[in-house]
Amino acid sequence: MENKVLKEQVEKLAAQVNGEVEEIIGELVLKVKASYVIETLKGAKSFPNIPCDFLHDLCGVDGVDHLEAVYQLTSLRGPQRLRVKAIIDRENPVIDSVTSIWQGANFLEREAYDMFGINFKGHPNLKRIYMWDDFEGYPLRKDYVTEPIEVRNIVRTRIEGE
Amino acid sequence: MDALNTINNVFLIIAAAIRSLFADPHSVWANLTMDVINFIIVVIIVVLAALILILLERKVAGWTSQRPGPNRLGPRGWFQTIADALKLMGKEDITPAGADKFIFKIAPMIIFSLPMMTLAVIPYGNGMAPINLDLGIFYFLAISAISTVAFVMAGWGSNNKYSLLGGMRAVAQMISYEIPLLFSLLGVVMITQSFNLGVIVEAQKTVPFILIQPLAFVIYIIAGLAEVNRAPFDLVEADQEVVAGPFTEYTGLRWGLFFLGEYGNMTAVSALAATVFLGGWQGPAPIPGWVWFWMKVGIIIFFMMWARWTFPRIRIDHLMHLAWKVLLPLSILNIFLTGLGIYIYRLVMGG
Amino acid sequence: MTIEKTEELLLNMGPQHPSMHGLFRMVVNLEGETVTKIDPKMGYLHRGIEKLAESRTYSQFIPYTDRLDYLASPHNNWAYVQTVEKLMGLEIPERAEYLRVIFGELARIASHQVCIASTALDMAGWSAWSYAFRDRERICDMYEMTAGSRLTVNNMRIGGMSNEPPAEFWPALKSFLDDTPEMLEEYNGIFFGNEIAQGRLKSVGILSKELAENLSITGPCLRASGVNYDVRKAEPYSIYDRFDFNVPVRYGCDSYDRTIIRMDEIVESVKIIKQAVRDIPEGPIMAKVPKVIKPPVGEVYHRVENPKGELGFYIVSDGTTKPARLRIRAGTFINLQMLPIVSLGWKIQDVVAIFATLDAVLGEVDK
Repeated sequence: MENKVLKEQVEKLAAQVNGEVEEIIGELVLKVKASYVIETLKGAKSFPNIPCDFLHDLCGVDGVDHLEAVYQLTSLRGPQRLRVKAIIDRENPVIDSVTSIWQGANFLEREAYDMFGINFKGHPNLKRIYMWDDFEGYPLRKDYVTEPIEVRNIVRTRIEGE
Repeated sequence: MDALNTINNVFLIIAAAIRSLFADPHSVWANLTMDVINFIIVVIIVVLAALILILLERKVAGWTSQRPGPNRLGPRGWFQTIADALKLMGKEDITPAGADKFIFKIAPMIIFSLPMMTLAVIPYGNGMAPINLDLGIFYFLAISAISTVAFVMAGWGSNNKYSLLGGMRAVAQMISYEIPLLFSLLGVVMITQSFNLGVIVEAQKTVPFILIQPLAFVIYIIAGLAEVNRAPFDLVEADQEVVAGPFTEYTGLRWGLFFLGEYGNMTAVSALAATVFLGGWQGPAPIPGWVWFWMKVGIIIFFMMWARWTFPRIRIDHLMHLAWKVLLPLSILNIFLTGLGIYIYRLVMGG
Repeated sequence: MTIEKTEELLLNMGPQHPSMHGLFRMVVNLEGETVTKIDPKMGYLHRGIEKLAESRTYSQFIPYTDRLDYLASPHNNWAYVQTVEKLMGLEIPERAEYLRVIFGELARIASHQVCIASTALDMAGWSAWSYAFRDRERICDMYEMTAGSRLTVNNMRIGGMSNEPPAEFWPALKSFLDDTPEMLEEYNGIFFGNEIAQGRLKSVGILSKELAENLSITGPCLRASGVNYDVRKAEPYSIYDRFDFNVPVRYGCDSYDRTIIRMDEIVESVKIIKQAVRDIPEGPIMAKVPKVIKPPVGEVYHRVENPKGELGFYIVSDGTTKPARLRIRAGTFINLQMLPIVSLGWKIQDVVAIFATLDAVLGEVDK
């Protein structure tokens, strides 16, 4: 499989950033701590010959005892694919923003912030993207309680001057 | 031949009959009565034109874009506009809270009254101009220029940003296009030595001016389209960008007045084109003059609708380029060529 | 003496606006007619599909995917069911694969027709709009024959297809494919060949190749910026490796190329469907699938080339009948990031046109 060459590179990178490499259904997954995410992604972007330089997707996942930011990396110049998972502390969900590497992370990080409350440090405009600004709670977290509309009464109040 | 003449002059005969009811057919009271009747006729023309044209527009739209168009109410959907007009009358009349009420309310009335004023000088047949003005073309253009003000009033009075943008666009567009419009007509005026529309029609007895002034006709049609805000120059009411421009906040009959005004203006511009370039009521018998006139107007209106439903909307900077860099030089060139032609003609004919 | 200066006009376009393609809202700063800043706002159509997925079984979720990019619903079904099949390791019958390709490519044609139509409509080209919609009707008719619905088709299941197309489907498909060159000629004549349309689209809203890659743009917008990348070629899913087709690429990077590249793609789609119709084998259309779908613990990411961009599904399974996390990578949501960047300095009319060429469907953007 073409994963062979990539796997070598990923393992080398994993050693640098204290990450662990798995292979799930034909795809390499690199798990790192949140603090290493910029280093990891920069490393993945500059793999020799097979750079994973296209941020395909970024999403949050609730792992019950921790949160994850999942980066799907691909390339426009080859079949290589890599999934980077950054483990984030649930109590203090802070991670570095990757908007400095890919501008395309802008909306995606806002969405992850909106849905999981992950704070992306260094994001230019970290606001809720789908829900309204004064919405409380993070809907896609497992501990979010979905109540009927009558109970929650989510009626948006209009802020003066809007 | 007598019967034909009778049909040709049927309106004149009726007018004479009404005048003969008075002791002195040319007394002040007789003139006043005739003026009132003329006025009513022009109002009827504007309203009827709107009613018919709206339906026609939708039919043409259907035909151009390969769909049926209105086809439910009455035979082949012919009553659709009447139903729509009734519905409009039943609508609630809303004035926005922050609107400048006086300006907001008076703007549609001005727009509606303008085509009536302009249509009053058009000769509909031999001797059938409601008002026979010596400065006919001049009057026509002066009056139609007022509609710019009305659009700005509507745009400003509505207290809506879309309306304001639309109003500003109206100023930019209509003032720019007034100049080529005016200049394109000057060639004809130079040839006939008269502003009177009746005289201009008489002068086209042998050859309509479209053959002598083809460039002027093309410029007139383009500038006229822009002047009445028809696509591809409908930036004022561009629904994809400024929702409906100055009309955004209007409802019910006030909005209907804008509509009447729009179609009335369209009729007026087409009527002027038919008069100045296509020979007005002149045409080979056995068709009466006033039928000829309306047929010519109809052709121009059809062309306008056809263009509207085919072309996409032009961009505002392209619009300005077209007016100032293409149409204006061309119209000046046309005036120059006409002058040269007249000079040579006189030289050759020894006049 | 106070110095008078012009003020910027803050214009709020949408969510109720004729050219906002659904419920999109953008706050535009205007200097006269020129745009100085755009702030896109979305979420007016947010239904929380990702959250809903966590309380639905795997099969129950299929109809929800129809409501993402509702103009190309077979693609959403396809992406989702393939992701689940990949997770479960299911093999699906040949005939079902071919049918999926046929429906997917039909959806691509329909979606591109809507894009062309709505771009024309946003520039007031009414007739071009109705021409394209007239032809799209025929695809909707074919959907209706097969699945009973005209927009949200929902005829793919985990393990195959829900039903066989009826006998009258095949002649309708054939006549549609035969008529496509004529249709494209008509669109060219009424819209793309028009001087005004070209003046409004050409060299407007330049999205450079580097910017496109940096912004994670996918789909026709990326290919119109000169990048030859199509998931169907780069990482062939389903049976795309069996067909002979080209990936159209354009190098203009402007609104015009972003629109007309869809015409090229329609040509290629027709080519693919013709090959699929020629090669389709007889056989079952549904694999042996357990009654209760219970994928093993694991996670999978799968993407397909949706007409508007790459559509990806990322499913984390905890071994139960419901997904622990289902993530939708919506192409147009990410493509929309280019709007505030490329439309700076253009007129408000151009912004409307640029937004149309992005071909954003708010069902997918808002999820």
